[in-house]
Amino acid sequence: MAKKYLKEWNNELNICIRCAYCFEGCPVFKVTGWETDTARGKTILAYGVVSGELEPSQYIADKLFQCTYCRDCSERCSANVSVVDILAAARADLVEAGFASDTHKGMAKNVKETGNIFGDKEIKAPTQQGDVPVFIGCQYLARPNQTKMYLKILEKLGVKPLIKDEICCGYPLHALGFRKEFEEHKKKFLELYPEKDIVALCPTCAAYIHEEYGKNVKHITQAILEHLPEKNLGLKATYHDPCDLSRVMGITEEPREILKKLGVEIIEMPQNRKTSQCCGGGGGILMSDVNLSDDIASLRIKQAIATGAPLLITPCPTCEQVLKKAAAVMKEKGNGSIQVKNLNDIVWKALKS
Amino acid sequence: MPITKDSVRKLEDIVGTDNIKNDIADLYIYGSDSSVHKALASVVVRPTKTEQVQAILRYANAELIPVIARGSGSGMSGQAVPIDGGIVMDMKKMNRILEIRPEDMLCRVEPGVVDDDLNRALKPHGLFYPPAPASSRVATIGGEIANNASGIRSVKYGATRDSVLGMKVVLANGDLITLGSNTRVEASGYQLDRLMVGSEGTLGIIVEATLLLKPIPKFRCLARANFDKLKDAGESISEIIATGALPSMLELMDNIAITAVNTTLKMGLPDVEAIVMFEADGKVKETVDAEMKLMKEICEKHNGYGIEMSYDTAIRTKLYAGRKKLFAALSRYQMGLSCTSLADDMAVPYSKMAECASKIHEIAKRNNVVMTAYGHCGSGCMHTKILMDPTKKEQWEGAKRAVEEVYEYVRSVGGTTSAEHGIGLSKAPAWKKEKADSLAMLKAIKKAFDPNNILNPHKLQDAPEDWFSATEIRYPVE
Ligand SMILES: Cc1cc2nc3c(=O)[nH]c(=O)nc-3n(C[C@H](O)[C@H](O)[C@H](O)COP(=O)(O)OP(=O)(O)OC[C@H]3O[C@@H](n4cnc5c(N)ncnc54)[C@H](O)[C@@H]3O)c2cc1C
Ligand code: SF4
Ligand code: SF4
Repeated sequence: MAKKYLKEWNNELNICIRCAYCFEGCPVFKVTGWETDTARGKTILAYGVVSGELEPSQYIADKLFQCTYCRDCSERCSANVSVVDILAAARADLVEAGFASDTHKGMAKNVKETGNIFGDKEIKAPTQQGDVPVFIGCQYLARPNQTKMYLKILEKLGVKPLIKDEICCGYPLHALGFRKEFEEHKKKFLELYPEKDIVALCPTCAAYIHEEYGKNVKHITQAILEHLPEKNLGLKATYHDPCDLSRVMGITEEPREILKKLGVEIIEMPQNRKTSQCCGGGGGILMSDVNLSDDIASLRIKQAIATGAPLLITPCPTCEQVLKKAAAVMKEKGNGSIQVKNLNDIVWKALKS
Repeated sequence: MPITKDSVRKLEDIVGTDNIKNDIADLYIYGSDSSVHKALASVVVRPTKTEQVQAILRYANAELIPVIARGSGSGMSGQAVPIDGGIVMDMKKMNRILEIRPEDMLCRVEPGVVDDDLNRALKPHGLFYPPAPASSRVATIGGEIANNASGIRSVKYGATRDSVLGMKVVLANGDLITLGSNTRVEASGYQLDRLMVGSEGTLGIIVEATLLLKPIPKFRCLARANFDKLKDAGESISEIIATGALPSMLELMDNIAITAVNTTLKMGLPDVEAIVMFEADGKVKETVDAEMKLMKEICEKHNGYGIEMSYDTAIRTKLYAGRKKLFAALSRYQMGLSCTSLADDMAVPYSKMAECASKIHEIAKRNNVVMTAYGHCGSGCMHTKILMDPTKKEQWEGAKRAVEEVYEYVRSVGGTTSAEHGIGLSKAPAWKKEKADSLAMLKAIKKAFDPNNILNPHKLQDAPEDWFSATEIRYPVE
């Protein structure tokens, strides 16, 4: 196997001091308990592959794909190792060597053919002229009611969104190792969005457009906070920080301030803000390893239920989806209940009242 | 004996199919720790109860298969590296806190409990388990006992050995023994529980530990003092201890450590030869005030200046941030250099602290590597790391000489090879020189506990004479 992409990370692999600090918060490790599933385990595998000491195998590929890209490891790392960059490179080499899973291949094909990860030609952005380029993202586009709600919120707050006939931000292609497809897609994306400033609805799109394309990205919560009036909804809730919003974008306070402004009392989970525990929906495992994703989500929902709050609020469509499912399972099993809502529901409720 | 398909089946019968791994990828991962060493495990098993540990050992002892206990593999000297292959026994799933007895100031835990998890559980009782190694977020109680771990607060609260009251141990033949008691003192014959502390998995497998707890102090005050001369910093440390002051932390950072933190993390620490951090804690504020005043005066007497001091948690965190992030900073000290765990922790008498730091700098320069000196100097512990390009053979030659010279100096002043990180493989050659006249006795003790030499073989007194060739090195050396 050629190690075209991984080779560039040789030095980073030597920088890792193998201290195991990345075990502490890794959601995959929390579920399986095997060191192989930690960031250290994965970087050791990457080292083995790049040094030629390990022959690439389906098992190794599976292990390198079993990661939610939550970056909890990098947050706690002794040596600031860019674990997800190493993984993305390893995945790219593995994909080129033919180790991509069928579901991931299907996703890449979908993006190429339809512009969205679902391969659904009916999914279309509600294009409109406006002042501020707003990027909706595949997840919200697949939920037209939520998209409408967000756009109405923005309009009510005096922001006029400019919506284009958008295509996927490209993150899934990059994260899942489809580099060639990504490079083509990237060109299209940058042609469509020459603007420097973008507001993004989805935390993952926001983080990716900011990191990969170097744009000034505002997440919708920042845009909302700037214009939001005070209300008193009189609710109690816990707040789940999406990994890309908290750890990558550093946006932890704005959503909390929104909730406070709307009279929502927040009961924090012990793992909050930059040490928030992942919901299990990222990194492609929702597509390729739904059981693992479910197990991770159930750990997080247990933490939410333990706060005693009747409601969990999150601004991420993927977190919302997987946590809703986990909450339903908890309830069915009689292990406590909590309602899961998207932040936009709360904001819309307040603005309507 | 090599591991056969039959052995794997046998082990599967003991721990269940969910608790065994033998794909080459897993064996490769479980073959290394935080040291420079690596090897290949033959099989990884994860017992969940004592009876399984006993069954594994009975089987391994009969078949002469090495068994290497493993916590989180955060050891820095290759203690958990399976030098000859064998069964790597991952203890992390035996992680129940069995009881907390505030009235007796003790708790009983399984060995896979992570130190920080234990302390989180103790907090509502107003208690804590004191050893506090920097790695407490991942280090297991079993690994800490087997290494006699200690940390920033050991100057006041002692090392792991001072916090272990007793334990249950599975011997090489599978027998279960109970050591120690539930009491603070014991004069009941050989202190075998103490012998297990620091035994690095070579004498038995710890399956339960009874630990002594302390009340969480109500007040904590931290100060940071700057010194233009390393020697002055060293003398302050020595005098603080000699006057009978009771710091709960007494740390030193040299200029390389300061530079590393400033350049890589933009911490803005003063560019001085040394920084000393001292802390006092306690139940009565006046007592803490008095301790802090005394230590401050001693630092000032030795030309310490710019002393910042606070009880406030946020300010204390800020004052300590440079020390806390030191590892990250050293790892990024210079592009192309890696931070290797070599000659990484020794202890020297208090009066030799500053001299030891200067020697380390001299030795590093002479051997063309970068070395820093920092550590829990209040307990005599001096840390360093060797920063080098790990791909270059000549850098390893320099590192080898540096390791040897550092330990030669440490021995010459009556210091010891490891303060807290353990001996394993990389420190074994130096340690054997330090313990030259007791090696025969150490070997006899090992033989009495483990006649077939299945427990973590080739470590400590049985380790190879040359650490560099003891195993493969984890870096891509040219
Ligand atoms: C960044 C960093 C900072 C560190 N800071 C400190 C520090 O401040 N102070 C300090 O003391 N150490 C420190 N260490 C070293 C290390 O974390 C400690 O030695 C720790 O106690 C090892 O615990 P572990 O669970 O990782 O054990 P492992 O590394 O897995 O094992 C260590 C040894 O213990 C044996 N062992 C493990 N479990 C058992 C058991 N149940 N029965 C018998 N033997 C067993 C193993 O066989 C091996 O010999 C640090 C390490 C790193 C990487
Ligand atoms: S925390 Fe960072 S340096 Fe430590 S083992 Fe994990 S990736 Fe490596
Ligand atoms: S990114 Fe998250 S899931 Fe992946 S290794 Fe790091 S902590 Fe684990």
